[in-house]
Order: sequence, then C-alpha cells, then structure tokens
Amino acid sequence: MKGKVLSFIKYFLLIVMSILSIFPFVWMVLGMTNKTIDITAGKLMIGDQLTINFTNLFNNSLNFTGALRNSAVIAVITTVLALILSSMAGYGFEIFKSKTKDRIFNFLLLSMMVPFAALMIPLYRMFSQLNGTPLRSIGINSMFVVIVPSVCTAFLIFFFRQNIKSFPKELVEAARLDGLGELAIFFRVYLPSAKNTYAAAAIITFMNSWNNYLWPLVALQSPEKRTVPLILSAMGASYTPDYGMMMCGIVIATLPTAAIFFVMQKQFVQGMIGSVK
Amino acid sequence: MKRLKKILIVAGTSLLLVMLAACGGGSSASNDSSGSKKITIWAWDETFNIKAVEEAKKIYKEKDKDVKVEVVTMSQDDIVQKLNTSLASGNTDGLPNIVLIEDYRIQGYLTSYPDAFADLSNIVNEDDFSDYKFAVNKVGSKIYGVPFDSGVAGLFYRTDYLEQAGYTAKDLQNITWDQYIAIGKDVKNKTGHALLSINPSDLGLIRIMMQSAGEWYTAKDGETVTVSNNEALKEGMKVFAELINSGVATQVSDWDGGVNAVQSGDVASSPTGSWYSSTIMGAADQSGKWAIAPIPTLADNSKSIPASSIGGGGWYVIKGVGNTKLAKDFLKQTFATSSDLMDTLANKIGLISTLKSAASTDAYKAKSEFYGGQQVFKDLSEWSAEVPSVNYGLHTYAIESILTEYAQKIIDGADIDTVLKDAQTQIESSIAN
Amino acid sequence: MIKKGKFSTKKNGTGFIILPVLLIILLVFIPMIQALFTSFQSGTPINMSFNGLGNYQRMLTDTTFRKAFFNTFLYLIIQVPIMLFLALIISAILNDKKMKFKGFFRTAMFLPCITSLVSYSLVMKSLFAANGFVNQILSNLNLISAPIQWLTHPIWAKVLIIISITWRWVGYNMIFFISGMQNIDPSIYEAADMDGASSTQQFFKVTIPNLKPIILFTTITSTIGTLQLFDEVQNITLGGPANATLTLSQYIYNLSYKFTPNFGYAAAVSFVIVIAIIILTIIQNKVGGEK
Repeated sequence: MKGKVLSFIKYFLLIVMSILSIFPFVWMVLGMTNKTIDITAGKLMIGDQLTINFTNLFNNSLNFTGALRNSAVIAVITTVLALILSSMAGYGFEIFKSKTKDRIFNFLLLSMMVPFAALMIPLYRMFSQLNGTPLRSIGINSMFVVIVPSVCTAFLIFFFRQNIKSFPKELVEAARLDGLGELAIFFRVYLPSAKNTYAAAAIITFMNSWNNYLWPLVALQSPEKRTVPLILSAMGASYTPDYGMMMCGIVIATLPTAAIFFVMQKQFVQGMIGSVK
Repeated sequence: MKRLKKILIVAGTSLLLVMLAACGGGSSASNDSSGSKKITIWAWDETFNIKAVEEAKKIYKEKDKDVKVEVVTMSQDDIVQKLNTSLASGNTDGLPNIVLIEDYRIQGYLTSYPDAFADLSNIVNEDDFSDYKFAVNKVGSKIYGVPFDSGVAGLFYRTDYLEQAGYTAKDLQNITWDQYIAIGKDVKNKTGHALLSINPSDLGLIRIMMQSAGEWYTAKDGETVTVSNNEALKEGMKVFAELINSGVATQVSDWDGGVNAVQSGDVASSPTGSWYSSTIMGAADQSGKWAIAPIPTLADNSKSIPASSIGGGGWYVIKGVGNTKLAKDFLKQTFATSSDLMDTLANKIGLISTLKSAASTDAYKAKSEFYGGQQVFKDLSEWSAEVPSVNYGLHTYAIESILTEYAQKIIDGADIDTVLKDAQTQIESSIAN
Repeated sequence: MIKKGKFSTKKNGTGFIILPVLLIILLVFIPMIQALFTSFQSGTPINMSFNGLGNYQRMLTDTTFRKAFFNTFLYLIIQVPIMLFLALIISAILNDKKMKFKGFFRTAMFLPCITSLVSYSLVMKSLFAANGFVNQILSNLNLISAPIQWLTHPIWAKVLIIISITWRWVGYNMIFFISGMQNIDPSIYEAADMDGASSTQQFFKVTIPNLKPIILFTTITSTIGTLQLFDEVQNITLGGPANATLTLSQYIYNLSYKFTPNFGYAAAVSFVIVIAIIILTIIQNKVGGEK
C-alpha cells in the first residue's frame, strides 16, 4: 500500500514537471503556425501560417540552411575532440593523483571563473595575429577559431574527474599487472565502463557548442560562415520581428540537440562498472 | 577491441573534417579585403534598412555594373559588439566598408575610435539634409556620416477612438502634453481604451520631450551632465509620471508589448518616431483609422516646439578596410544625393528621408489610404526639417540606465528637483572614465 | 593497436594532461592576465593609460554596481539550492529501474534548457503578463486579489527571474546527477535492500554520500553559472524595471558595449566576480570535498 502511494506521488510529480517543461516547447511548435501578433498575444491555437512562415524562413537574405550546416560541423568536431581530450585529462588527474597535479587542477578551475566577455578582446587579438601567418587557417574567420577554445574546458575535465572518483582503481592496477600500457588501459578498461559519463558529457558539449553565441559572433566574419544562433539573432533584429518565421527556425534549431539527448540518455544504464572484466 | 576501433574511426574522421574545414576557412579569409571591386555593408532589420540598401544597390548598379555589393543583416547589438571588439583590438580585417549606426551611439564611436571612420565632408552637403542630423555626425567641422532615416516624432492616433471621445483632428493639432493627458482621460472614460502604452524602463518619451526644447541629458559638448536644473527634463519627468499615475497609460514591460498594444487596438495613440509607421500599418485591418498629428509640446517651456525626433541613424565608412573610395562613391551616388532612391524607399518601406529634395518627389505628395487620406510623408518631412538640433553626446544610454531608477522614484511621488539632483551626482560619478 | 609506452613512458600520467593544460593556459590564462592589466587602466579603448586601483575604487561609490552585485548574490543564494535539490529528487526518481517511460520523462525535463532563449522569454513574458495565465490561475484560486505585476514590480521581477532560471536549469543538472548515479556500484543498493532499508533511507544513506563528488561539481558549476548569469535576464526583463533585475554580467556587457565602451572598468567588475567565485569555491570545496 505504502509503495503504491509513493509511486503515485512519484508519477504525479513527474507528470506535473513534464507538463511545465514541455509547455513552452509546445507553444513554440504552435508558434510556427501563427502570425507574430498572435504569438506575442500568447494565443494557444493552431494557425494557418505554417507554410508562409516556412517559406519566409528559407527565402530571405539570411542563409539558414548554410547556418545549420556550419553549426553541425562545428558542434560535431568540438564534441568529439572535447570528449577525447577532457576525459583523458580528467583520467590523468584522478588516476595519477599527486600533490602537483592537484595544484595544477585547482589552478585550471580558475579558468572557469572569468566572465567570457572579459576575455573576448584579448582572445580576439590573439587569433587575429594568426591571420598573417601560415596558421591563418585557425585564425579569425576560420571554422577552427570557434572550435579551438571549446575543446579543452576545465568544466568538462572537472566533470570527468569527479566521475572517475567512483571508478574502482583496482581495475587499473589489475590491468597493469596484465602488462597493458597506460593508454591501452584508458581506452580498453576505463572508457568502456564510462558510457554514461561520456553520454552526459556529449549532450552538454554538443548543446553548448550548438548554442554558442558570443565568441562565434565576433570571431566569424563572413556571412556565409555564420552559425544558427547568429542567424536567429539577425532575424529578431527588426522593429517588428517576424516571430512566426523565427519559431520555425527555432524549432528546427532545437531538434538536433533534442535528438542527441534522446539517443544519449539511453546510455544512462546502471552497472557498467561491474561488467568490466 | 571493437569499441577501440570505432573510437579511432570517429577520431580520424573528425580530424579529417577539421582539416577540410580549416582549408576552406583559410582560402576565403585571405581575399576578403583585397577583392578589387567589392564593398560590404552591415545593417539591421530585414524589413527596413536592409531593403533600403538593396534598393540603393540597384541604383548603383546602373552607374557601375562591376561593383559587387554584399549586404549583411545583423542585429544592432551584434553590430555594436563586433565593431567594438575589432576596433578595440586594432584589427579591421573583416569589418564592413559601410555600416549603419544609430544617432544616439555615433558620438561614442567617433570619440572612442577617432581614426576608424572616413571623413565624408566631400560627399555630403550639409544644406541638403535636415539640420538636426549634423549635430551628431560631426567632429569639429568634419562630417563623418551620411544622414539616413529621420526619427521625426509624430503623434499617431486612432481617429475612431478619438471621435467616440468627442475629438476631431483639429483638437489634436499643436497641443501640449498636459492637454494630451486631458484628452486621454476622456478617451479612457468614453471608450475604455488606454491613451498609450508606456514601458516605465524606457525613457524614449522623455527624449522626445527634451529634444523638442533643444535640450538633452548632456550639454552641447556632449559630456557635461545636465540632469539637474534641466527645465525640459524636469517637465518631461513630470509629464511621464503623470501619464502613468493618471491611469491614461497602460504599462508594458518591453518592446513587443508596445507593438501588441497598437496592433491589437488596445491603445488610442502612440507618440513615437516616424519609423514606427510600418509597425502600425502591420495591422492592415485598421486601415483608415489612423492619423498623425504633430508631437505635443511642453507647456511651461517656451523653447519647446511641435517637432522632435527619436532614433534614426546614418551611414558610416570604416577606414582601413580597403576600397574606401568606392564605398564613398557608393554613398555619394545613393543615400547622399538620390531623391529617386528616397522616392522608391518612401513607397516600399515608408521611409521618411532626411534628404530635403525627397520632399519634391511623387511619393511625398501622395495621400495615404491607411492614414485616412493624410499626406503623411509631406507632413512628417516638414516636421523633420524643424527638429531642434541636439548633440546626443557620449553617454545617452549610460545616463538613461541610471535615470530609469530615479524616474521610478518620481513616479512614486518623490520631489522632482531633489531626485534629479541626486541623479546628477550619481551619473557624474558613473560615467567618469 | 596502440604502442605500449609511446604516449607516456612513465606511470605519472603527464601525457594525459599535458595538451589540455597547455591549451587552457594559452586560451584562458594569457587573455585573463591581459584582462587583469586592463582592469588597472582607464581611457578610450585604443588610448588606455594606467590608473592604478581607480577602477576598483570607483565600484565602491557606484550604486548601479552595488545593485547588480546584490541582485546577483540574491539569485545565487535562493536559486542554486532550490534548483539542485529539485534536480536531485527528480534524478533519484528517474534513476529507478522499475520506472516506466523514463526516456520520455528525462527528455521532457531536459527540454527547457534547449528551448531557444527567444521563445523561452516570449513564453515567460506572456505567461507572467499582468493579464497572463499565471495571474488568472492565482486569482481563480483566490490567492491574490489584484494581478501581480511580475514584469514591472522590482521584487516580483526578481522572483520571476528566479523561477525562470530554476525552470530552465533543473533538467541540465539532472543529467549530471543521473549519469553520476549510474556510477554507484549496484551491489551497495543490493546490500541495503537486504538490510531492509526503505528507498528514502537508501537515497540518504547510499545515493547522497556516493554522489558527493558530483554534487560538489554541480554546486560549483551552478555557482559559477549564476554569478555569470546573463542570457535569461537580458531576454526576459533586460535588467529592468529600473535595474531591479540587473546582474553583474549584464553590467559588464553594458559597460563594454551598450554604453560608450569603458573596457577598463568592465574588466575590473569581471575580476570582482572572479574573486567572489574563488572564495565560494574554496568554501564549497572545504564543506563538500574529500577530507
């Protein structure tokens, strides 16, 4: 009896929270079918503007399709590189723990604390100096300029390290006795056991990269290189923004992250560690 | 083992992608500024400024077919950030040749980056434009901008609501703000509609009132703060508080709220800039129900005239991007001289030009069906020529950010003189560099 | 496949951390030092001169700064605990193996933080408008007699911001908690089951202690996130009414871009945030870190 009440409470709570969470998303989808005036007035009905809004989205001077492509390439590369580099670093800090490494680690945490706006101009200057050199392919206006600052973040290293704390270190010792190299231990012993950590990190990194705004804004100059958030911002910039059209763009822009989340959250499976041999 | 392979494949592919992307990036980044006959223009608003540039592009194409003009839509905030970041780093790569800058902001740019903008004195003739535009785009005697849209203020009102309240068009000509409030009370009583919508954190109305008397938050030098002992500002604040406290205004919290109040027919009027016309006309079902009267004046201020401005911008050329000559020629042939262009823009986007010769074009003589047959272009451009000159100085937005707090105190009933004196002290210490 | 020892010959793991550490030094710490220098300078952006502690002194008399500072810390103190608590509860429920529709619920909870800011702020503004949905419900329940001015009243606007950021970031923190809970060895739960511990007891005795590193992680990152709060406030209230919801990050943005730029002062304000975060992180580490 008690169990039933408890599970009822649980489901009730989840359903209420879900409704609250999904509501704005539904509103956004409904917005695709409405005119601006109905959207700002908060009307919750299916309108008849869907095709018009869609046509407007793809028929203006802003290249929305191109932006989707740019964002996708940047986000995928960033996520893959960030996951590899940060997980290795987090592993290095925790498995090969030492006083010096702890100090370096605490120092790295400092890098999360400065508001990015303060770093932007020095960073811009740094990358723009590359433009006259053979390294210009990672200078201002290249795709790389957006990727490089996000592939190694203290945030992600911190996250991996905290998760590795619950990884049984005996497994590493055992693998060493078996004669495995350190890198092989990382890839063959640790990595397969940390699916859920990687899944969470992938979701967050992809999302952050996909939504990244400030740095791409200043670092990407050619209009054809702009990413989705920059295009959406340009669309909103008018005396009377066309919200119907923007909602179409926004819904499309939200789908990749939602899909990644749905796929990745399936990796949140218990008991991985126990199954490692 | 399988997993390891997978990871290596993913990593390898991604590296390959990176290299491809990097190569692509490198090749197109290098020839941006050296492209022989190409200019880039940045502006905001797809439905207004961008359309204006597109039309200008057509006109210029007739003069010179080989020139490639690239128009980039960005939000104004984005433009401001990109300009500041690039100019402050001393790197002009990737900046546009021509950029649209708001009048309130330009003095800040010209002071912060004195060598960044090209002198346009030889392509802009001061006599050709509304006077007030030159109070902001000059440093010394050098002209740095081609004036663009007029922000001339008008009192947009619903003829049907005012009629119900017992007012005719005549009753709205040359009124004071006090009379405006009195009318508002009747409108509220008889029709139930609010007179206007106000966002208490947006002091645009106060700007309109001050400029009608030739005053601003700062003195002519653009730096000395003149918040206390400023008669126009004081009366403006009083009117602002009265509009809110008398109940004739409905409060909104942002821009969209104001747009919605107008388009849904909630409010009977909107005292605002001429560029708002297209927003009002967005509600096509209200055609024939609107008219525009001159902006009200401050009753106790003898200098206040029924002409003022809010917003508006100009075109500026950035030096050091290359093709400066070409960019100047583009502006010269289009926005600086072409009344044909202004004629087209009046028809297509409802732009009130600050170019005086525009007034003689057909579009400016036409009667607007939406505004009940009123010659709106003629009226607005006449008022535009009258707008008192005011130097917006360096700190309009910084001062306003602080002043909104003090405006709230005035609305809550504090003594205006004391509040403005406190505000003056606070502002002076805040904008010191 | 991978050559033994080529990557890190000794067993000190330097090879694992060297590249990330160098990259972070290059891309964050060098710009940070430059920003620190800037914070001691004043003048127009391309003509700055040394000003000693002038910018820092200025903050002492700057009432807008004080307001932004106060608002930011208010958000921090109230919002972070509520958000993390909610996220923890939901994660615990969703971590239950027997739970049905887990994927759906998880995705639903996660949706707010990927919903674009533009639509999210439009939704919030229309829900919390004076005649909006929330006020209608409250007055139908006879909880209020006059509509609450969520957007234009200085206190209610702050409440609205707190509600909005909580709503947006619970799902985000949930991800860290759920993935962390999966790392807890199931045999510990099995042992607890055998001892007859109820699920509530298991939550407090097993889940929380084992999740400590992740709780510490989310506490620190949420603290940082809140102290750098910008997007939500910029989009919902723009810092209004009359700067009542203004945050420090917004103030930095305004000083750098909205007003005539004063990068020196903006940098100084940034470093005040840095110092505040360092202090809080040290405290959190002392309280929640391993002994």
